[in-house]
Amino acid sequence: MTGPRRGESRSHRSRARFVELLKVQAKLALREPYALLGGLGLPAVLLALFGWISSQNPGNVGSTGLTVIELWTPTILVLAFIFISVSLPNTLVRDREIGWLRRVSTTPLHPSRLLAAQLIIDLILAAAAVVIIILGGALLFGASLHVQILPFGVSLLLAIAEIFAIGLVLVALLPTQTIAQPVAGVVVFALMFLAGLWVNPAQVGDPLRTIMYYSPSGAAVKAVVDSAFNGGASYAALLTMAVYAVIFGYIAVRYFRWE
Amino acid sequence: MVTVEHLVKRYGRRVAVNDVSFSIYEGEIFGLIGPNGAGKTTTVECISGLRTPKSGSISVYGLSPQKDRNKMREFVGVQLQESALPPRLRVGEAVNLFASFYANPQDPNELLESLGIKDVEYSPFRKLSGGQKQRLSIALALVGNPRLAILDELTTGLDPEARRETWSLIERMRERGVTVILVTHFMDEAERLCDRLALINHGTVRALDTPEAIAAKAGGSRVRFAPSQAVDDQTLRAIPGVNEIERKERYVTVTGTGDLAGALISALAAIGVRISDVEARAGNLEDAFIKLTKDDASSVGKGVQA
Repeated sequence: MTGPRRGESRSHRSRARFVELLKVQAKLALREPYALLGGLGLPAVLLALFGWISSQNPGNVGSTGLTVIELWTPTILVLAFIFISVSLPNTLVRDREIGWLRRVSTTPLHPSRLLAAQLIIDLILAAAAVVIIILGGALLFGASLHVQILPFGVSLLLAIAEIFAIGLVLVALLPTQTIAQPVAGVVVFALMFLAGLWVNPAQVGDPLRTIMYYSPSGAAVKAVVDSAFNGGASYAALLTMAVYAVIFGYIAVRYFRWE
Repeated sequence: MVTVEHLVKRYGRRVAVNDVSFSIYEGEIFGLIGPNGAGKTTTVECISGLRTPKSGSISVYGLSPQKDRNKMREFVGVQLQESALPPRLRVGEAVNLFASFYANPQDPNELLESLGIKDVEYSPFRKLSGGQKQRLSIALALVGNPRLAILDELTTGLDPEARRETWSLIERMRERGVTVILVTHFMDEAERLCDRLALINHGTVRALDTPEAIAAKAGGSRVRFAPSQAVDDQTLRAIPGVNEIERKERYVTVTGTGDLAGALISALAAIGVRISDVEARAGNLEDAFIKLTKDDASSVGKGVQA
C-alpha cells in the first residue's frame, strides 16, 4: 500500500472504532441512566413543580421583574448540567478502580478516547436538557423568553464547560467509588443550593447574594437568566464562569490518572 | 523475540524485581513461576509497557515497551491479573469493541465459540461466573490476533474442567505460532504448557530452563521401599546419589539424584538385602519449586542471624 492511502485507511479505521466506542458507551449510559435521569428526568419533574407554583402565584417575584417559572427555569437547567456532570465520577472512577481503563490502555485505543466518548454523550444529554427545559418552561409553563442569542449561547457553553470540569476534578481527585459517592453528593447539594433551588439569588440580600452570583452554579444561573429572560448579558457572570472553567480544567488535567 | 536484561523495579524502597534477565524465543510458551509477591506480575507489566523499570533493558520484537508503546499495542495482547469490565457491558459487545481497536482482528464470533462463551454473548459482565469472566478476559487478549500474548494468572479461580479447556486453548495458540508469556503459580500448569520457564523468587531468577530440566536438577527423584532386613543410615548414605532418608514403619524413603532406584537395588543386593514394594517417582516441578524457594528462605534466615 502507498503512504497516503495507508494514512487514509488508518484515519478511517480510527473513526470507525470511535463510532463503535460511542455506540457501546451510549448503550452503557442507557443501562446506567444516572446522567439520563439526573439530566432529563429530575429536571422535568422540577419544571412541572415550579410551573405549578408559578401558576398559583402569578405575577412577578418581588422587584425582579420575572415570574417564578422564569426565575427558576435557569436554575433547573443548571441543575441538569450538575447531575450530568457528577455522573462522570460515578462511572469513570469505577472504571478506573476496577482496572477497565488500564485494560483498555493495553490496546491500540488510548483510554482518553473512552473519556472523549463519555463526554460527547454527556454533551448530547446537556443539549437535550437545554431544549427540553427552556422550551418546556416557555411553551408549557408560560415563561416568556427574551433571548439575546449570542450571550445565551456563550452562557450555555461556559456553564457546561465549568460544570463538567467540576465533574472531571472529582474524577481526578477521588480514588475510589466509596469515597467518590459521598463527596460527589455533598458537591451536588452545595451547587444546587448556590444555583438557587431553595432560595433564588434574586430574592436574597447580601452577602449571600454575592456569594451565589460568584459561585460556579450561581454565576451560570445569573448568566442564563439575563440572556434568556432579561434580554441582556451579565459579563461578570460570564467572566466568573470562564475563570472557573480554566481553574477546574487545569486541576482536572493536572491530576487525572488512568490507573 | 523478547529479551529482558538486568531488569530492576522498585516500589518506593521495596525492591520488587532485582536484576532479572531472560530471553523468549518466537513461538514458545514461556512461563514465569514463583510464589506470591516474587515479582512475576511486575516483570510482565514492565514487558507490556504498563510500568517503567528503574533500570535494565527490555526489547519486544526489537521495540522498547516504554518508548514504542503505541506500536507494541498493535501486536501484544495482554490479560491482566485483576481487571474487571464495566458491570453492564455484555460479552459480545466487549469482544466486538476490542476487535474494532485492531487492524487485523479475529472473528469475534469464532473466538467466543472456541472459548465456549458464545452462549453468554448477551450476558452482562456482572452476571458471569468466575470461569466465564476469565475466558472473556482471554478473548479480549486474543481478539487482536497478537504475536505475543501476556497472560497473568490465567486459570486462577477456574474449576478443573475450565482449566483444562483453557490449557488446550493455549496449546492451540502455540500451534498458530503465537508467542506466549504465562504467569502462574500452578506447577502442573507450567509443566504441561511451558516450553521453558523462569522460576522467580524475591525478585531474582532462581532457575531458567525447560520444566523437565528444572525438575530433574532441583527436584531429584524419590524412591520408597521396604527392605528385607534393617539397613542403617550410614549404609544408605554411602550409595551414590542419596541425599535424604526418611523412615516410616517398615518403609524407607530416599530422595536424591541420578538413577536412584537402580543404584539402591544393586548396592543393597550386594550386601544381601532384598527390597520390595518399590515406588519410584521422578522429581517434579513442584518438588523443585519447594526446594528452590525453601533454599531462599533458609539463606535469608541465615542472613538475619549473621
